[in-house]
Amino acid sequence: MILAARETFYSRNPRTAPFKRYGAMLVSWEWLKEYTALEMDREQLEDRLAMSGLNHEGTEQVGDDFAIDLEVTSNRPDCLGHIGVAREIAVLWDQPLHVTAPAPQEGKEAASKSTSVVVECPELCRRYTARIIRGVKIGPSPQWLQQRLKTVGIEAVNNVVDISNYVLMECGQPLHTFDFARLSESRIIVREARKGEKLVAIDHKTYELEPGMCIIADAAGPVALAGVMGGAATEVGPGATDLLIEAADFAPLNVRTTARRLKLHSDSSYRFERGVDPEGIDWASRRCCELILELAGGVLECGMAEVHQAAPPREPITLRQSQIKRVLGIEVPADETRRILTALGAKILGEPSDTLQVAPPSWRRDLTREIDLIEEVARMHGYDKIPEDARVPMTASHKREGDRVLSIVRGVLTARGFDEAMTTSVSNLEWVECFRAWSDQPPLQIRPAMLRGADRLRQSLIPSLLESRRVNESFANSVIELFETAKVYLPQDAALPNEQLMLALTSGRDFFHVKGAIEQIIQALHAGIAVDISPANMEMLDPVRSCRLSAGGEAFGVLGEVTPAGCKKFGLRGATTVAEIRLGVLEKAAKLIPQFAGLSTSPAISRDLNLVLDESVRWSDLETTVRASATDAAAAVGAVLEAVDFREIFRNAKKDGSGKKRLLFSVTFRADDRTLTNQQADEVREKICAACQREHGAALLAG
Amino acid sequence: MSEFLTEIDALLAASEAAFSAAEDAESLEAARIDFLGAKKGRLKSVQKLLGGVPKEDKPAAGKRLNEVKGLIQAAFEASQQRIAAPANDAAITEAFDPSLPGATTRIGKLHPITQTIEELTDIMGRLGFSVALGPEVEDERHNSEALNISLEHPARDPLDNFYLSTARKNTAKNNTAPNNKNTAASGGATLIRSQTSTVQIRVMENTPPPIRIISLGRVYRTDEADKTHYPMFHQMEGLWIDTDVTMADLKTVLRLFAVSYLGADVHVRFRPSFFPFTEPSVEADYLWNGAWVEFGGAGMVDPNVLKEVGYDPEEVIGFAFGLGVERLCMRRHNITDIREFYRNNVRFLHQF
Repeated sequence: MILAARETFYSRNPRTAPFKRYGAMLVSWEWLKEYTALEMDREQLEDRLAMSGLNHEGTEQVGDDFAIDLEVTSNRPDCLGHIGVAREIAVLWDQPLHVTAPAPQEGKEAASKSTSVVVECPELCRRYTARIIRGVKIGPSPQWLQQRLKTVGIEAVNNVVDISNYVLMECGQPLHTFDFARLSESRIIVREARKGEKLVAIDHKTYELEPGMCIIADAAGPVALAGVMGGAATEVGPGATDLLIEAADFAPLNVRTTARRLKLHSDSSYRFERGVDPEGIDWASRRCCELILELAGGVLECGMAEVHQAAPPREPITLRQSQIKRVLGIEVPADETRRILTALGAKILGEPSDTLQVAPPSWRRDLTREIDLIEEVARMHGYDKIPEDARVPMTASHKREGDRVLSIVRGVLTARGFDEAMTTSVSNLEWVECFRAWSDQPPLQIRPAMLRGADRLRQSLIPSLLESRRVNESFANSVIELFETAKVYLPQDAALPNEQLMLALTSGRDFFHVKGAIEQIIQALHAGIAVDISPANMEMLDPVRSCRLSAGGEAFGVLGEVTPAGCKKFGLRGATTVAEIRLGVLEKAAKLIPQFAGLSTSPAISRDLNLVLDESVRWSDLETTVRASATDAAAAVGAVLEAVDFREIFRNAKKDGSGKKRLLFSVTFRADDRTLTNQQADEVREKICAACQREHGAALLAG
Repeated sequence: MSEFLTEIDALLAASEAAFSAAEDAESLEAARIDFLGAKKGRLKSVQKLLGGVPKEDKPAAGKRLNEVKGLIQAAFEASQQRIAAPANDAAITEAFDPSLPGATTRIGKLHPITQTIEELTDIMGRLGFSVALGPEVEDERHNSEALNISLEHPARDPLDNFYLSTARKNTAKNNTAPNNKNTAASGGATLIRSQTSTVQIRVMENTPPPIRIISLGRVYRTDEADKTHYPMFHQMEGLWIDTDVTMADLKTVLRLFAVSYLGADVHVRFRPSFFPFTEPSVEADYLWNGAWVEFGGAGMVDPNVLKEVGYDPEEVIGFAFGLGVERLCMRRHNITDIREFYRNNVRFLHQF
């Protein structure tokens, strides 16, 4: 049996563990027959158990017996023993379950005179019982017992240890037997460990105990880790004659924490973690004593030493027959409902009617509400009876704007040859600090670390993309054009960080190639964002061939060619340009339902301009001048400026002198109602030239 | 009228002669500008003479002018072809090979996980489920408490989750873990979510029923990376809350999903399972090619969860289901190692 995944919806294939699967209790086919008839085919049994809640993991033949491996979910500790599984079978096949009450013969001496039990931490131990048997003869177990333990994967040790294991596998209640003679002052104290205490467990390893761990101690010190493992010093070995038999109920969370802290998992801790049957403790103790008397001899002292805080009685649960249909969508006959619940051990109080009062059995602490009972009825009645062709009402679904924007962004980028990457959200401090575009706060740290020590939530996707670039270089891929859309996690004063969706790119091509991709995304979204440029001032980026982008004063993105030192930091051989864009800005500005703007039937007319300018004049400034003057000049001839298109930049130091560049661009106009004449176009061109000369000292190049 | 005709005929003859005489692209271009130039070409000049033709002759003159225009253009193009392809040696004329590969540009690929998510979203959209999103860094309330996952549940163990170590001090009263230095298990702790069920809570907290949503996204588990595990993966969860939703509806929706996804009729079965946030809980399998294949976990939303978000479980009821996107994608495309998804090898990406 294994713990069913993590019990979230993402179940997974169980890891094939290199270590012993503690709690991997296998069920013996022969052993089950002790409690209910097995006249069915074994495979049929395995299948029906799987369909009613005990997943079948596999079956192995062991001698003349079969070990059936069942997966038990964490809410069903009652099935961590053969009786529990047999009960399921009895319900499924509507046949009787035979479990007899153990009746060990008691001697005259009272156990309470031989020993005493003190529980100092009642919240960690709700019940502790100790029985005493004197004069046992330690030896090997009989063959049948050894065989059964072997089938379920437990090695035989000696008759007494084997019996406690047998009872554990029979009813699911872990037991521990102490060599009574070795208990200092013959008494039991259940308490929290003290600082500095140590215990050599029966695996002969020494464990450092910590306050908070629940332990069993005698007058001298710790003798066992409560519910986890016994100590070597009080272990029942060949020389033991007197025994103290412990049957107790330890707090699940404490057992789990202790077992995990000490990395010490056992069949016992596995069951305590899930909770034992509080009313089954005495049954198990008596059963254990009964078998010891039978197989190892000795005399059982009368009664027991015990500390018991009885749990408050459980309220009966109301089950309305109508709710079964409301939840399942099908009717389950009322008598079938009653039969299932009764066979599972519940008591129906009062007269049967459409509303039942149900007292669940003590071993089913998971049954507390009506819905829990409905599940019991459903799984035993059979989920196969629920139809898969109900009439499901239709409803409209809506596509999120953000998803529409993302598909357009992805469309543009794939069309431009970018492949989509996915990298993990967790990075390391060095990577976070080498590319800080959005926050100067220290990154959020997680524990434990994720992969290769990565423990900081990232604030940029670029470092991880550069790592993917490096991986691709190492695969000798020649074209590495990658983008990713994912979140960054920026610390803020609220409880949760500011998560922002980013688009990041890495390209083997230059600044303008990547800038063009961003511009085309803006166009494709009809976002109409006027991007302002400012220096990036980032160590990773070339100081000249980089910039920050903003839109209406809001930070929009960063773009630039990575410096050789930056490439080296990420182990990159080739040059790369990177960019990161806040998708939130695009989403806000996107016009997902573009509106028709009318189409003039008159032809457009365009003019090329070839200007000589100082190197210092930026296109963005020139374009502003061109647009302003062209708009006015076009209006003067009754036309509208349609486009200003940058064509080319080149330099001719011989003709123009140094510090000059030639800028070629074209302007296009159109009138709504007529064809513009060449003369009109030339007029506009003249005015643009004049403005460019006035504002930027531009000279018109002939031709 | 006849003068005009003479003039244009002469122009035609002259242009034909000039174009034939051109021996290379440069001289041909010069001839073109001379005759066909947009501003000072001779055709342009002759065109202007049309104005002097008497009104009644204009249609005929115009018609002839157009013919001549076409002929001059044809003569130019003929010479252009002659110069481009030397015609004197017919034997070595280049053969057009239509079997050569076409001209292409490189088209990028979407990540297979994105492709899978898009398909899942589409199918669920057709079934009336809209996408809802939520934060990846979550508080314990949304990741566990409101989902009925108790403090004792193994799913809340500090070692099984990535808790933020900057979170507030450990305030857990019930936490009896000895010397627990982690803020884990404390009520106010934050962590990167271990499941997308968190989004269900957020949606229900803010929306009255009916609700039909799927939530999709990254989730995080403290698994060692191997062929079938990765500490980050994607999940899709569905949630339907209304006054009268049953397990039969759940089974039907899962079957419709599987039929859409697999493109053929399939059957769905439920095996009982246990999830803290659903009751009853089941594992759903579908029958595909004669074998039962695991689909994911599902169940009826636990009344405690409904109460937690302020719904009345007597009034509303619903189901939830969830599945791992990577696993679905791996099975569909026969991918054998989950780690490939996050290596981003371009050659891997281009296989999908």
